[in-house]
Amino acid sequence: MKNFEYLQPKSIAEAAGYLKAGNGTSIPYSGGTDALVMMKDNLISPKKVVNLKSIPGLNSIDYIRGEGLKIGALVTISDLAEHPVVKDKFKILSEAAESIASPQLRNVGTVGGNLCQRPRCAYFREDFDCLRKGGNACYAFDGENKLHCIIGGSLCYIVHPSDLATALLVLNTKISIASGEKINEIPIADFFVLPDEDFTRENILQSGEIVTSIFIPDLPEGTKSSYIKFRERAVWDFAVVSVGAVIQTSGSEIVSGRIAFGGVAPIPWTESVVNSKLINRTIDAHIADEIAESILSNADSLEMNGYKIPLAKNLTKRILTQLLM
Amino acid sequence: MTRKIVKSKYHFEPDLIETIGEVSIEEIKPWGSNDELKIIGKPTSRIDGAVKVSGEAVYTSDVILPNMVYAKILRSPHPNAQIKNIDTSEAEQLEGVLYILTYKNAPEIGWYYNTSYLFDKQVRYQGDEVACVAAESEKIAEDALHLIKVEYENLPFVTDAVEALKDNSPKVHEWGNLPRGNPDKYKRGDVEKGLKEADLVIEDTFTTQVVVHNTTEPHCSVAKWEGSKLTVWDSTQAIFNVRDSIAASLQIPASSVRVIKKYMGGGFGSKLEAGKYSVIAALISRKIKRPVKIVLDRREENLAVGNRPNSIQTLKAGVKKDGTLTALSHHSIGSIGAYPDGAGCSWPLRTIYKCENVSTEEYSVFTNTGKSRAYRAPGHVQGTFGLESLIDIAAEKIGMDPLEFRLKNYTDKDQVYNIPYTSKKLKDAYEKGANAIGWHRRNKVPGSSNGILKRGIGMATQIWWGGGGPPAYATLKLNRDGSVNVMAGTQDLGTGTYTFIAQVASEVLQLPIEKISITIGDTETCPYCGASGGSTTAASVAPAVRDAAEQMKAKLISGAAAILETSEEKLIYAEGIISVKNDPSKKITIHEIISKMRERVLVTTGARSANPEGYMINTFGAQFAEVEVDTFTGKVRVIKIVAAHDIGRVLNPKTLENQFHGGIIQGLGYALMEERKVDSNTGKVLTANLYSYLIPTIMDTPEIEVIIVSEGDSMISSVGAKGVGEPAIIPTAAAIAHAVYNAIGVRIKSLPITPDKVLNALTLIKR
Amino acid sequence: MSEETKSNKFSRRKFVKGIGSSIAGGYILSPAIAKAAKKISKEAKDFSEGKVPLSLKVNESVINVMIEPRTTLAELLRDELKLTGTKVVCNHGECGGCTVLLNNKAVYSCHLLALDAAGKDVTTIEGLSSNGKLHKIQQAFVDEDGLQCGFCTPGQVMAAAALLYKYSKPDKQQIMKEMSGNLCRCAAYPNIIKSVLSAVEKSNG
Repeated sequence: MKNFEYLQPKSIAEAAGYLKAGNGTSIPYSGGTDALVMMKDNLISPKKVVNLKSIPGLNSIDYIRGEGLKIGALVTISDLAEHPVVKDKFKILSEAAESIASPQLRNVGTVGGNLCQRPRCAYFREDFDCLRKGGNACYAFDGENKLHCIIGGSLCYIVHPSDLATALLVLNTKISIASGEKINEIPIADFFVLPDEDFTRENILQSGEIVTSIFIPDLPEGTKSSYIKFRERAVWDFAVVSVGAVIQTSGSEIVSGRIAFGGVAPIPWTESVVNSKLINRTIDAHIADEIAESILSNADSLEMNGYKIPLAKNLTKRILTQLLM
Repeated sequence: MTRKIVKSKYHFEPDLIETIGEVSIEEIKPWGSNDELKIIGKPTSRIDGAVKVSGEAVYTSDVILPNMVYAKILRSPHPNAQIKNIDTSEAEQLEGVLYILTYKNAPEIGWYYNTSYLFDKQVRYQGDEVACVAAESEKIAEDALHLIKVEYENLPFVTDAVEALKDNSPKVHEWGNLPRGNPDKYKRGDVEKGLKEADLVIEDTFTTQVVVHNTTEPHCSVAKWEGSKLTVWDSTQAIFNVRDSIAASLQIPASSVRVIKKYMGGGFGSKLEAGKYSVIAALISRKIKRPVKIVLDRREENLAVGNRPNSIQTLKAGVKKDGTLTALSHHSIGSIGAYPDGAGCSWPLRTIYKCENVSTEEYSVFTNTGKSRAYRAPGHVQGTFGLESLIDIAAEKIGMDPLEFRLKNYTDKDQVYNIPYTSKKLKDAYEKGANAIGWHRRNKVPGSSNGILKRGIGMATQIWWGGGGPPAYATLKLNRDGSVNVMAGTQDLGTGTYTFIAQVASEVLQLPIEKISITIGDTETCPYCGASGGSTTAASVAPAVRDAAEQMKAKLISGAAAILETSEEKLIYAEGIISVKNDPSKKITIHEIISKMRERVLVTTGARSANPEGYMINTFGAQFAEVEVDTFTGKVRVIKIVAAHDIGRVLNPKTLENQFHGGIIQGLGYALMEERKVDSNTGKVLTANLYSYLIPTIMDTPEIEVIIVSEGDSMISSVGAKGVGEPAIIPTAAAIAHAVYNAIGVRIKSLPITPDKVLNALTLIKR
Repeated sequence: MSEETKSNKFSRRKFVKGIGSSIAGGYILSPAIAKAAKKISKEAKDFSEGKVPLSLKVNESVINVMIEPRTTLAELLRDELKLTGTKVVCNHGECGGCTVLLNNKAVYSCHLLALDAAGKDVTTIEGLSSNGKLHKIQQAFVDEDGLQCGFCTPGQVMAAAALLYKYSKPDKQQIMKEMSGNLCRCAAYPNIIKSVLSAVEKSNG
């Protein structure tokens, strides 16, 4: 890891100024759980590291009944996972947060950092001149691609590694981005970038822009949610496939529902075709199978990752059964 | 001390070693079942526990010396290349850089059985050593590595052992991709004849992956010169091997080199040989006249310091309807990486089951990948998975209970040397293990249980050596105050060596264990013991310690007899006091004897006795696994492992059980998740870290029950212990694999049994 | 793989190669930096002089040092303060060997900038025992043999210490969960669980 200058801005504007002035050689830094890996492995060698933790006011969780939950970008994963309101009302989020990495990393890693972490594709992380690093080819395409995407890939076949992203997508989260003097709030679905838009980035953040908070609209009464993360090791592993779901029911009716997937695409993945099937639908014995069969209909697997399709379907069955039965 | 030189034999890993060793003439009566032992066999907390839990224990990587500098190694990024030029000028300019070693200025020191040099212009795998920078800090050394410009000419490479055997494959070494030009073959009887006699012939292919030791403490070394004398702190399983390699490499007398290893963070076989880093540290230290420390990083651990080779095993069995095995054959291919090693894995097949007609053919193949090294029961772990899978299939094909099938082909003698075992309690292990797991609960029809979560039970057999043998020595010093120092040139890998040495000395001299201080891992102060590998340490060293302690007891009795003016026969020894049998008032203490002798320290040296002629010493065992397979995800969860083993005498049940747990959980990692992956298009490793190279966590840990079916084997030695470390891991993966089959009814023939393989297999049977 | 998919694959590889690289700025630095990494800065030298002051508490002692910003907490502890009880195993926050307490929470010291500990309380394995007497967790690890080689042990003990700050009476599941960020290659896990359970019992007994 190259040495750098560690800057301690006191405001978002000051941080943005440092980042902008760095012209691509400065990075924003919060928990550092991923940035340090990138720096130690010489994937990035910033001259200036801008510590966002020195900016006050970015690490609180505020809940207003009927409106929603605002979570500062610097809230740690463990504080999120253990927050009583999150545990009580947004189970999908506490479950997703709990499933991340290890206790020690959750104590340090932040919500903003988790959303902005870089992919774990070995060809990206190791010594390959891969497309995402400005190289010429995707080595995963005809390489070891057991853990790569089955949908949404083109030219590059990463999966997005964030568990929170999948959960937040289900929750219709809005993400606040400080850009110069302004703060823009956009739907989280618009935050992530597919490779065919730009294969060198996973999100829309421009130089000098910082994620400051996220906002989750409150869930109506009768809503249940869950997150199932499937990984090869019992704990401390990235998702092979994960599924998050939120379902509002009334009696034997589903009022509405949303499902999203992690580990299947270069971005957290949801399908409106599938979600529309979960509007005003009577709960019956076939529903889990039917929905599961309808997911990822455009999936196109690589040589080694075809198993992710039945895996995602089975997890869909499991989560719907768990929420509805 | 009366000694003689005798011949003996012992197994270190698969090698049968013939030794000529010095042993004591007076044979010590082995401990028997009637001997009431006070501390041997009793749960004893490890004596090095407190310094380890407090952080006081100084491991090699913790050594800090005055004026010490740090060195980092530059490694090849390419799987096969010729170095055209190295330009270190810019790196040398960096402030704090002290010295850079490359092929240009390094002495021509032969390495890997002289197939390469310490620094060679030819690099043969991603990770091969290219240069080493010594600097004032580790960070400066690391910064400097980036400033070294290396011009490579890339050459064609091969990473797959099967590909490497083809005529048109790139050659890792110019003479070819087989180290000796031919496969290793073994044959007894006539396999063709045996197959003809069979009612059924079964043939199948099984594959296993490359796994990496990933010891927690990286390979590391600190070298320091004082005049012509070199001291090396090294994280090693074999201090004397390291000493002699360094001395030979530097062409200095072995007496000028002292190697010290007090505590180490794991070895598992990867630290049995001297590393290049040790010699490099010594060379640079000599040059710049300051102590040099080299600690490899996790990436280097995954690239460059060994692995368990993969295997592609094709096995054939001839079976009669009654379960009799009429023939067994084994053909295996395994990658040894870029430099000579062995990837054979047919030993279990040659020895476990009674069979007259056996043939094996082993191809250990060079590839442009990191060299393999011994890894906890080398060969046996792979071979047991292959053999036991075939046996499981055979039993099912003839409709026989797999356990009954194994009993049907039980052998009481070693079939390779045609000699009996000193002891074999495998039948007891089968019986007790089966009871403990509830063998009757397994699915009579594999895969027949209902539901999404399916359970199954499987088992597998273990054979290994682990009898130890000479040479191994221990020096015991008794001080006037009744405290004891024991010195032995052996190593503690976390295996409890410190503790059993203290237990043996305490047992014989009847002195409290707190009064016994142990020094091991120092070539200068300790008498010779072999490398800590092959599960031989306890079996070799414990009897030497007992010998030294018995001699000390004899010396004290002799001294007491002279002082009390009586004959030795009339004296009895108890807890450091010697008294006259019929007159307990006449007694004398250790303090009094040593003071009267005008000595301050009494010294004895004990030796390991020779192994019995005409017998084979082996460990045996059986492990039983219960698993639950989630057919929705393909995930295998191991619920319980029962490990029933014959390992001779238990010296310390506390550390023994722990070591079994460790072997079993490492075996679980091998069965279900661990795999070094190499990108075949580029020859580069994809898993050189601990987030993508998955090793088991606390959450992956199953319930484990350890059952020891043996007592002391009095034919081996006065202590009667055999080894534990390797038997623990050998059958685990096979037992888990068979349990998976029993659960889902489809057999995964390739390790690791990852969810994708299970799901793909389940999808296939659905169709 | 069928011939068809194979040829498809190669054509796609080629296609990708034809595109060349486009460089994006912003948060994601990799394309520019990947190239920069190859050039490797001469600035390394300049930067090495860029030390900054740091003040923190380690095992209740106030420490004031000048360090390079890139210094990790583990490097500060081991190299500067010579507290070698904290072990570095992976140096990437992937194993737990370097676990220490930061304001009584478990963190990976190898994967935390020392500057991020400014003004905070760090407790290392050396700070756990007092007056030469082992802490109850340490004693439990000795008594229950919760270790083999002992190299990951300081990290395991510190993770257990953090657990006892978090829960007064953790159950087995909570223990497993909170200890799951600490790998043990010797796999002494069953005895590690026993050790922590026994320490919990003793602290409630």
